[in-house]
Amino acid sequence: MPVPSRRDAVTAEIPKLRRYARALTGDHGEADDLIQDTLERALGRLAQWRDGDSPRKWLFSILHNLHVDSLRRKSRRPPHVGLESVGAEQSAPAADGASGRDLDRALQLLPGEQRQVLLLVGLEGLSYAETAEVLAIPVGTVMSRLARGRGRLRALMGYEDGDKGGGHPALRRVK
Amino acid sequence: MTPERRISEAELHAYLDGELTSDERAELEGLLAASPADAALLRDFARLNEAIGQRYAGVLDEPLPGELEQRLARIPEREGGRVSGALRPWTLIAAALAVAMLAGTAGFVARDLMIAKQRPEAGFVSTAIGAHRVYVPEVRHPVEVGASEETHLVQWLTKRIGAKVRAPALAGLGWKLVGGRLLPDDGQPAAQFMYEDGTGRRLTLYMRKETGLNNTAFQFAESEGFAAFYWVDRPLAYAIAGRLSREELTTIATAVYGQLEQR
Repeated sequence: MPVPSRRDAVTAEIPKLRRYARALTGDHGEADDLIQDTLERALGRLAQWRDGDSPRKWLFSILHNLHVDSLRRKSRRPPHVGLESVGAEQSAPAADGASGRDLDRALQLLPGEQRQVLLLVGLEGLSYAETAEVLAIPVGTVMSRLARGRGRLRALMGYEDGDKGGGHPALRRVK
Repeated sequence: MTPERRISEAELHAYLDGELTSDERAELEGLLAASPADAALLRDFARLNEAIGQRYAGVLDEPLPGELEQRLARIPEREGGRVSGALRPWTLIAAALAVAMLAGTAGFVARDLMIAKQRPEAGFVSTAIGAHRVYVPEVRHPVEVGASEETHLVQWLTKRIGAKVRAPALAGLGWKLVGGRLLPDDGQPAAQFMYEDGTGRRLTLYMRKETGLNNTAFQFAESEGFAAFYWVDRPLAYAIAGRLSREELTTIATAVYGQLEQR
């Protein structure tokens, strides 16, 4: 009975790394470049993977660091478009007719740091603690970015029924 | 009148993400029942998660581009000097799988399979995952009969299914039985047991009497962000579903299989 090697363990995570990278970058090519860099780094540094650590957390950390590096290199990137400056044509597609493309676009309109947290937690199912480790930020920051990100995404996707459309959806009470 | 305690938005997220203890969750559920606005907000956040999961689920099944695969094959692997030492989780899982195989499964298929339409088990697995999706987010009535009446629950389901069912004990892996319910599956009775871990994540074990399908080894399936292991060990067909990593689900499936074999 062959024991799965570390290489196999890394390879087994590729589909999920790709899913995250695709959602994070919104771009096939960019996502696959990121995955390739991640795998090269991971397989070159298998010894740094500590015993008992989940391969996912380790791999997502590597991916995150590489993503940050690549964003730094591309500092000529167009400035981020905040929700406040989103024009009418981009806001609130029909609540139930929201297509996948609307979702792609809405995700890309979030600040990267909110998108990372939202996807690691909501798409990849990492705990807040794991997400904090992957992103090297405090758990409290994970929580606040998650709340802001989801609030914005909810507004962008038009889930808010007739809310005044502030950046941060306030809880409305009936009573 | 305002409620005695208001729900913070952070609590809604923590609830959705399985970050609350069961006490905290119970308290929040009580508050949610009295606060439709918060419940609606929670539903919106859950809906966003669903939408994101569905949008990107397809990526999991995309074959790697040839170029990437080739480059991957050329990447040298430097394992480093650390080979000995304590058993790694991987080794333990492998050992558990070996035991499961010896115990009689024909083989262990641990490849990512989308639930292929041509597979005869496809209907069964998608029903099991569907039942998982319907009941797991349920706040007030996740199960029909709670774990406090486990003996009754198991007897009742055994009688209705027409074959001996059991709720495996998974406390050793950190999963506590929540309870179970009877479900229709293509006009036949089926049973679902629900488990929950300390972080509020849930998994379900689905079973029905099987007359159509042949015995199969463990199969892995993934659908819209939900992973499932399923197998047929007549007279019953089983599926374990959850939003878990495959490694985690493998460990659980192996434990469940081991316990069911021991009867």
